[in-house]
Amino acid sequence: MFRKILKPLASLRLTVVIFALSIFLVFAGTLVQVHTGIWTVVDQYFRSLVVLIELQIFVPKELATIPGAIWFPGGLTLGIAMFINLLAAHAVRFKFRKKRIGIILTHLGVILLLVGEFVTGFAAKEGNMTIREGETINFIEDIRSSEIAIVDQSDPVDDLVVIVPEQLIETDTTISNELIPFTIQVTEWMPNSQMLGPMQAPESRKGLADTGIARELAALPLPRANGVDGATVDAPSAYVTLMNGEQRIGSYLLSVYVDQPQMVVVDGRTYWIALRFARTYKPYSLHLVDFKHDLFTGTQMARNYSSDVRLVDEGRNVDRDVLIYMNHPLRHAGETFYQASFLRDDAGTVLQVVQNPGWMIPYISCTVATLGMLIHFGIRLVPTLRRRS
Amino acid sequence: MKKLQQLLPWIVLVLSIVYAGQKLARPEKIDSPYDFNTFRQIPVSAHGRTKPLDTVARNSLMNISGRQSIQTDDGNITAIEWYIELITNPERSVKREVFRIDHPDVLVVIGLENEQRIRFSFDELRAAGNEINEQAMLASKVKAKARDPFQRAILVLNQRMMIFSELSQLVRPYLVPPLTTGDDWRSFVSVLNENPSDADARALLSVLQAFRNNEPETFNARLGEFKELVDSHISYDARKSRYEVIFNQVQPFIIASTLLLLAFLFGCFGMLSTQLTKPDWSRSLLGSMTAMIWVAFVVMTIGLASRVYLQGRPPITNLYSSAVFTGWGSILIGLIIDRQMKLGLGGIMASVIGFSTLIVAHNLGSSGDTMEMMQAVLDSNFWLTTHVVVITIGYSATFFAGFMGIAYVLLGVFTKMLDREHGKSMAKMIYGVICFATVTSFVGTVLGGIWADQSWGRFWGWDAKENGAALIVLWNLLILHARWGGMIRDRGLVQLAIFGNIVTAWSWFGTNMLGVGLHSYGFTNSAIFWLSVFVISQLAMMSIGMIPMALWRSKFSKPTVAPKPAPESVE
Repeated sequence: MFRKILKPLASLRLTVVIFALSIFLVFAGTLVQVHTGIWTVVDQYFRSLVVLIELQIFVPKELATIPGAIWFPGGLTLGIAMFINLLAAHAVRFKFRKKRIGIILTHLGVILLLVGEFVTGFAAKEGNMTIREGETINFIEDIRSSEIAIVDQSDPVDDLVVIVPEQLIETDTTISNELIPFTIQVTEWMPNSQMLGPMQAPESRKGLADTGIARELAALPLPRANGVDGATVDAPSAYVTLMNGEQRIGSYLLSVYVDQPQMVVVDGRTYWIALRFARTYKPYSLHLVDFKHDLFTGTQMARNYSSDVRLVDEGRNVDRDVLIYMNHPLRHAGETFYQASFLRDDAGTVLQVVQNPGWMIPYISCTVATLGMLIHFGIRLVPTLRRRS
Repeated sequence: MKKLQQLLPWIVLVLSIVYAGQKLARPEKIDSPYDFNTFRQIPVSAHGRTKPLDTVARNSLMNISGRQSIQTDDGNITAIEWYIELITNPERSVKREVFRIDHPDVLVVIGLENEQRIRFSFDELRAAGNEINEQAMLASKVKAKARDPFQRAILVLNQRMMIFSELSQLVRPYLVPPLTTGDDWRSFVSVLNENPSDADARALLSVLQAFRNNEPETFNARLGEFKELVDSHISYDARKSRYEVIFNQVQPFIIASTLLLLAFLFGCFGMLSTQLTKPDWSRSLLGSMTAMIWVAFVVMTIGLASRVYLQGRPPITNLYSSAVFTGWGSILIGLIIDRQMKLGLGGIMASVIGFSTLIVAHNLGSSGDTMEMMQAVLDSNFWLTTHVVVITIGYSATFFAGFMGIAYVLLGVFTKMLDREHGKSMAKMIYGVICFATVTSFVGTVLGGIWADQSWGRFWGWDAKENGAALIVLWNLLILHARWGGMIRDRGLVQLAIFGNIVTAWSWFGTNMLGVGLHSYGFTNSAIFWLSVFVISQLAMMSIGMIPMALWRSKFSKPTVAPKPAPESVE
């Protein structure tokens, strides 16, 4: 009975069909990257159950306009199908024999590979650490979400921080919290924006903020970044009006473009307010000693990027110098720090921080699969060669 | 008569060795009272690499005119002679017809559409300089991907004029060596402006002045002094510099492609004489082909080894060298196959693939230094050696299986050569190559993933080039599983192998053309046309293969059961 159900699931015909579907999906998922940002593509095509593939992606827009789209199984579906097909095949068809060991190992490797991609898809976390030269940073920023932070530094030992996550911020909402004496009225929330200087701003956008260090600037809303044209990160801004009860304190322009918190004084007490990328504080810190960006003589081509940092983690008794550069990440506390980018004029570094509990899986699975293939084809090759000699 | 047939391969072998040997061993010297042979060895810095002046002169001339020398009525002018004239005697140099212009609309813009030639002088272009400039400005505002052929052509021309000006004004390359080893090289003009008493610059200046004044003896003497001065305060590998000049002159890959083309002709005649039932001649001609391929293979190996020595890097560092390496790998596979299965087919495949990849490489390399410096992220000899070499072998093998497939179809449909036994053994070969391709492309892709994990923090990112590699692996796996499941037989295997050519070509070049993703270091824009031609030709081959077996000229003695149609690729 059990075998009866398994048999069709184990068929090689199904395997070939899954391969064919996967090939088409990967092909489409590559072409669509011309129009859509990679993250959207990965979510829509490769980590989804189904995907709507627009037919236009197969023909350049300049040649012809093609309407319509087809539903297609997504990467998750095909991955699961491959997984089931493989397991069923081994349950039904393959008995453990010495001759089969190569195939079994190969398939084991492939199963692990699928599991690894699954784990990465669901459990991996990515963030950024931006450090200026001479600065010490102990938090990771998630550049795909933002928050409004209000800091009260009046306590000499601990700062009091109130965080308003992006999900709560919308145009025409009022935010209040018993820990802060004022309320925040959001007059305009821009999930992605552009910052203009005093001379660039159109008349209609001038003077929307009357207080704070950013009052001379103007923010313009932009559509959300889709990864095309180089922009992969949303840069949110917000116009807010702060109220102390009925009394107006002032209107501020908060933005991730403004890299300092702005001062708010209420009843003689000082608070700092900022819109910033969402932070996660860490028990360790990185201090950037020096960032190097070397070019080949007489060209604009990069020869090398490197960050000389000091890693301090008291809980783990770590205090040492580390050099992070291309192809040489730092691995610490389950996270990996890569040289990703740098600030203008080489004033600092941007490290990408990846926490992926499954990072070892591909290494293991590939070793197993490669070994399996070599054994499998090796076993067949040896008698052929022997016959020849 | 009989004797000649037996001797022919040996004669061909000796002749090929002599031909290649004299080209390799006796690089031509420039016959001139000026000691250009020393002059072209002096080290300079261009695009971040210290190299002999000869390389800069050749690459610049190649970029501007598509050739490494100029033909004039008074004979040949070598690149180095052109270069020194350019910097010492610009009045003469601007009259040389070196700028190659192919696009007719560009000629219209310049007002030279009625000329019956494709190369023009700087003077002629300067007359239309403003117009070229304006057109280039307009074109540069269009995004690179959206430019039409005219816009691309005008930008190329503008770029070439800039290279020409920078060379003639001594802005580039950096001719003045650093004060001490480890410092930066310096531009001749800026040194003369900022520090007119600089010893190096002054010594070089007197060399150039001697040339301008037509004083060969002074030139040679000053050149000697300049070299001594340079050698005294910086250390560079003079032997490498000399070797690079020889490598430039010898052009081993051109020798190899000549031999491969001839070998192909021998192979065709060999096949033809099988048809005419002249087995002796066939064997003799095919033997000659193999001999030539062996010589070509040795020459290519020397060429690749020289690049490894000069760059201090593994054989594959860019698209250019990956094409050369693919050719080299295919030739190796072809020679091995011919040893196993004495049909001569491996050799024909080897010569076709080897020759065409060298042509592709030649076109890819025509725009500049093929030993360019590498982007920071690529700067890792370990990964270049493992990932890039292994995956290129995988690509080569997939191509090889595909071309064997084409041979199977053509021989089967149009000749009587494929009897049952030969047909079977050929299909077996293709199957074997696909198995090999599966393993190497899988391992290569995986190594790439590990490299990506090391440098970008993720094993797999669904980037265009990564997807391309995955497609090749998946395609090979599809073929193997379809075969194991009995869904296809010999002909189905052959057809799918031919389609593998399309998959490989797309992954290798097509993904670079998309211009997206982290791997888009490529520079192939005009190649889209050729890729389309290739895809269409492969589809044509597959449709020939679809002709019912009963109509094939080769009869497989037992009427083969027509294989069930292979699962059509969804593309």
